[in-house]
Amino acid sequence: MRSPVPDSLPSLISSLILLCCTFTATAAPHWLHYGGDQGGRHYSEAGQINRSNVDQLEVAWVFQSGDMERYGEEMGNTSTQSTPILLPEAAGQSLVYCTPFNRVIALDPADGSRRWSFDPKIDRGGDRPFRCRGVSYAEEPRAAAGDTCRHRLYMSTHDRRLWAIDATTGKPCTGFGEGGKVLLSGDQGLVPGEVSNSSAPVVAAGIVVTGSTVIDFVRATTPRGTVMAFDSYNGKPLWQFDPLVGYPNSGSANVWAPISVDVENALLYLPTSAASPDYYGVDRPGDGLYANSVVALDLHSGRVRWHFQHVRHDLWDYDTPAQPILFDWRKNGEVIPALAQLTKQGFVFVFNRLTGAPLWEITEQPVPPSQIPGERSAATQPKPIAPPQLLNPFLMPSDAWGLTPWDRGNCARQLAELENLGLFTPNSEQLTLMFPGSLGGPNWGGGALLGDSGLLLVNVNNVAFTGQLIPAPQSADSGGDRQDHPAAGHRMRVTMKGTPYDIEIGSLQSPLGIPCNPPPWGKLVAVDLFKGTIAWETALGSVHEMGPVTAPFHIEWGTPNLGGGIATAGGLFFIGATMDRQIRAFDVSNGDTLWQYTLPVDATATPMTYEYKGRQYVVINAGGHHMFGRDAGDYVYAFVLPH
Amino acid sequence: MHFHTLMAGLFLFAPLAQADTLTVKNEKGEPMARAMVTQSPISQPEADLSDDGYAPDGVTNTSAVALTRFTDSAGEVEFDSATLPVRYRARAQGYVDSYLDALEDEVILQPMTEEQYIASYPSNVWLSQLSFGGDEELKKAFLLNCAFCHQQASPFMRNERTREQWLSVIERMNTYGARLPDEDHAQVAKLLQEEYRQLREHPEQVPEPRAWEPQLSEIEMTEWPIGDGFSQMHDFLLHPNGFIYIGDNLFDRIYELDPDTGAYTVYKVPHDEDMGLGGIMGNRFKVFPKMYNYMGVHSFAYSKKDGNIFITPSMQQALLEFDIKTKQFISHEMPGGYYPHTIRVDDKDRVWFTLALSSQVAMFDRTEGEFTLYDLPARGVMEWLIFKSLPIMFSISPENRPQPSPDRESTGLPMPYGIDIAPDGMVWVARLYANDLASIDPDSGEITMIDFPFNGPRRLRIDADGNLWIVAFQDSLLVKYVPGTGTFTSYDLPVINEVPYALNVDRDRGVVWVNGNQSDTILSFDIASESWKVYPMPRQRFFTRDIEISEEDGAVYTTNSHFPTWQSEGGVPTLLRITPLSE
Repeated sequence: MRSPVPDSLPSLISSLILLCCTFTATAAPHWLHYGGDQGGRHYSEAGQINRSNVDQLEVAWVFQSGDMERYGEEMGNTSTQSTPILLPEAAGQSLVYCTPFNRVIALDPADGSRRWSFDPKIDRGGDRPFRCRGVSYAEEPRAAAGDTCRHRLYMSTHDRRLWAIDATTGKPCTGFGEGGKVLLSGDQGLVPGEVSNSSAPVVAAGIVVTGSTVIDFVRATTPRGTVMAFDSYNGKPLWQFDPLVGYPNSGSANVWAPISVDVENALLYLPTSAASPDYYGVDRPGDGLYANSVVALDLHSGRVRWHFQHVRHDLWDYDTPAQPILFDWRKNGEVIPALAQLTKQGFVFVFNRLTGAPLWEITEQPVPPSQIPGERSAATQPKPIAPPQLLNPFLMPSDAWGLTPWDRGNCARQLAELENLGLFTPNSEQLTLMFPGSLGGPNWGGGALLGDSGLLLVNVNNVAFTGQLIPAPQSADSGGDRQDHPAAGHRMRVTMKGTPYDIEIGSLQSPLGIPCNPPPWGKLVAVDLFKGTIAWETALGSVHEMGPVTAPFHIEWGTPNLGGGIATAGGLFFIGATMDRQIRAFDVSNGDTLWQYTLPVDATATPMTYEYKGRQYVVINAGGHHMFGRDAGDYVYAFVLPH
Repeated sequence: MHFHTLMAGLFLFAPLAQADTLTVKNEKGEPMARAMVTQSPISQPEADLSDDGYAPDGVTNTSAVALTRFTDSAGEVEFDSATLPVRYRARAQGYVDSYLDALEDEVILQPMTEEQYIASYPSNVWLSQLSFGGDEELKKAFLLNCAFCHQQASPFMRNERTREQWLSVIERMNTYGARLPDEDHAQVAKLLQEEYRQLREHPEQVPEPRAWEPQLSEIEMTEWPIGDGFSQMHDFLLHPNGFIYIGDNLFDRIYELDPDTGAYTVYKVPHDEDMGLGGIMGNRFKVFPKMYNYMGVHSFAYSKKDGNIFITPSMQQALLEFDIKTKQFISHEMPGGYYPHTIRVDDKDRVWFTLALSSQVAMFDRTEGEFTLYDLPARGVMEWLIFKSLPIMFSISPENRPQPSPDRESTGLPMPYGIDIAPDGMVWVARLYANDLASIDPDSGEITMIDFPFNGPRRLRIDADGNLWIVAFQDSLLVKYVPGTGTFTSYDLPVINEVPYALNVDRDRGVVWVNGNQSDTILSFDIASESWKVYPMPRQRFFTRDIEISEEDGAVYTTNSHFPTWQSEGGVPTLLRITPLSE
């Protein structure tokens, strides 16, 4: 399962660690933004915890938000995805995060004690899952030093409000919008819960920008996925960007994943999602720009500077799931401001982030046409010449896997009956393989870039779905499922109101509930962006808790995973994300697991790390994940080396 | 069919022809000679596909005809004024395609970047730089077994893949019908990863493709797209009644095309109700969303006596006859033999065809209504035993039938492939995997085997002098065999690392036409001067299996049967005609 490590990689990484550790002696590492920095590198220069001592990590403190007690059964409809940020000293140096119900809590970074909290008391109507990936911090120079709200936190909520609160007290900034909040939904007559927010807004140069999350498959014409920019001081609207101008019979193409910003060059990078409805495009002919794209906008005007669409005329719900990663491309003596974009398909596209010029050639992959009447699927789809796809999207009957000949045979029969021409096979009225499915491949956890090494570490799902378009009378929305993806063992049927079809999606598994593709079902992949190769990959997660009975030992076959990881100058990659309640530390040079700890529930959130008063902490939010049928919780765990 | 009739085929664009001139210029404003300009309709004629997504039997649909011409030395090209909305695409080597919604006076082409230019190279020049670690035999095994359906080194094939991903590709292709020996899988996966990566890192090593040549302004190309991304035009024939009959190998349909109008009538080949997909061979493409090949219409020949068309259904133990008057199919059940392949009819109205799997040649005597099967010799006892066991093997259902595991030494079965009738009546056959030729005396039934001193004799044709012309597939050669002297002469192809599949001989003009499946070309060889001309195809990933020639004017026809079809540019199979322009 693990690939050989190139000879040069360990020495390269050792050099980097040495360099970074020397650098950390003079630069205090912190974690000021959701993705570590505003370019989503998920990287910390903190190197106190390193490969030689990580096995000594112990729990520093545990905090519980109280959501379990407060919300009871509603926790079953949550996904805890928040990554805390550490505020600068001038802003109180609290560790701040949000709970799935958008409660903002500030903790003492040393002991995890609560300093303050803020509850926006969101409208909990609708049946969408509650989630909040984070809050954003900015110092507002237009407020006088020492005044309330000189240091601010911004949060977009489940009920479509953009809040600004004081970073030191948690009190709303009354000069922002109305009483500290701006209503994002306007007057669109929305179905309750159809539009919400999950990712943290972006704040830069006095501008706060927010996207949205939309249920984009229950009806043909869903709300527009308009991105909105406001004055960060008073909340006045500045500009809006609708990614789907010119497509009246469609909607969404919203930006639900975290946005990146290049402050120096005043460029915003939007990861846009699919146009509605996800799986039927007859009424939205054409490529559907700027859906399924990374779009570079001028921060001040919202005008498009460049774009790249990685799926044309999406029929697979291949949203752009991950925050664009901004970094310096160092190759052949050149240093180019670059952007790496992960996709659910498992591709890594790399661009000059100022111009959009690809740094790895992008080829056109011819793809099979749709069999649905009137559906004009794209003839080709983009594919980078390198790095390789992070998963193998072909699954033939001979590849079927099972614990016994019986379930393997069952899987082989299922596969033989599927329509399956690999990636971008359009769904039809026959059962069709979707590999990867809408879960990805990579997802919102994104990737972690190891300093300047060009080594990108990505957690990847590796389970197949099947889909089928089912002719349905054009009746009223019968409801159906409103999840983003089917749960294990569950077939999700969604009414695509306004189309002649329902879509039914489920995981491809044997009667024993085991995926039909060979393990690993989740993996960690190290990509050398400069060489365009995979340096190594290894299984991510143990399946010992996935069966009807928990096994007494770990079975490292990889699990589906949600949440990201972080890389550190200590040569480590920390990640939870798996369905085995573990947080793990991997050696970035070869993928060896150097440490792991069993949490009370799964941690489907990206960890963070910081140095505070001479000690490096690793923190992760552990709240379970309802979609995977796992227990919920309301924990924040911090780990530290012993004194 | 007369040349004037051919020209009238452009009526769709110009019933009252008035020529407009387009000048193609480069970024410096200089006229560009040999630029390719293609005129195609903006909207596609609506096709009746009411038979479960397929064209029903007897329906007449219309093809969206496209016309390609090349600029002359002044950079000019003429098109008759179009009566339907059309668009124009201008293309030249090293330049970015430009599209026009109306014919303007001129179009300026912008040069590609260095990176774009190298990426635009056709498959053959990339293939030429794969050395397979210096193992020439392994490379030939790869070409033989992996280059008969589609191009190998198109941009999306050259993507960086892990070895495991390459291995997965190879194993999947072997389930579709590729025959790369098991023992070579791991090594080929390793080499493809290493050598494509090496080329990606050093693209300057890849030689430039052959430059387009002046003769292009002397011809025009007409294309008739028919079918969709899942169909496949295989072989076809030019019938003396003026229609062109094309087989859709994967849809079990015959298209009767009127080249003057672009209208084509569809004839659905019937099959027994209890027959499964894939016929007696079984369906190798179960995962394909659209497939209707119970019969597998393969190769075509017509009777000079009554014009009826004989078709090899490769998935059946039968010969199909299409009555040209009643438009009905007649199935002649065979007493044995497997995989009817390439077919010819001799002057005595005997129908000859190869049986690729059972290593036989069949002769159907129309007068008696009887088949004679000629067994070509096995190369050893084991091979003989395999032939004898085929009936038993085929008595097992396709799902449970054991599959042979080819190795590099035995190369599976001999596979008689191409066939042609010499002017003296002798029947000649090439055996692809056995590297030999067979001649059959139709009167005595005597079979003579001749070693072919090259690799991969696929299809063959015979010229007016009785000389055989054979493509040596993995050796990238055109080979001439003179039966009278027993001598072989080989000719290098004018494009490197081409993998020639089919050919035909223009007996009247002394020209051999060879396909260029990896280089997006078709090649003509003048027998007298032993000189080549190269013609670029109007679509990338143009993979042809059959070439036919109009006796009247020397117009050359071929089909784009890239498999899978959706990988070819445009994603639809096309019949293509190259017509010499009048002075």
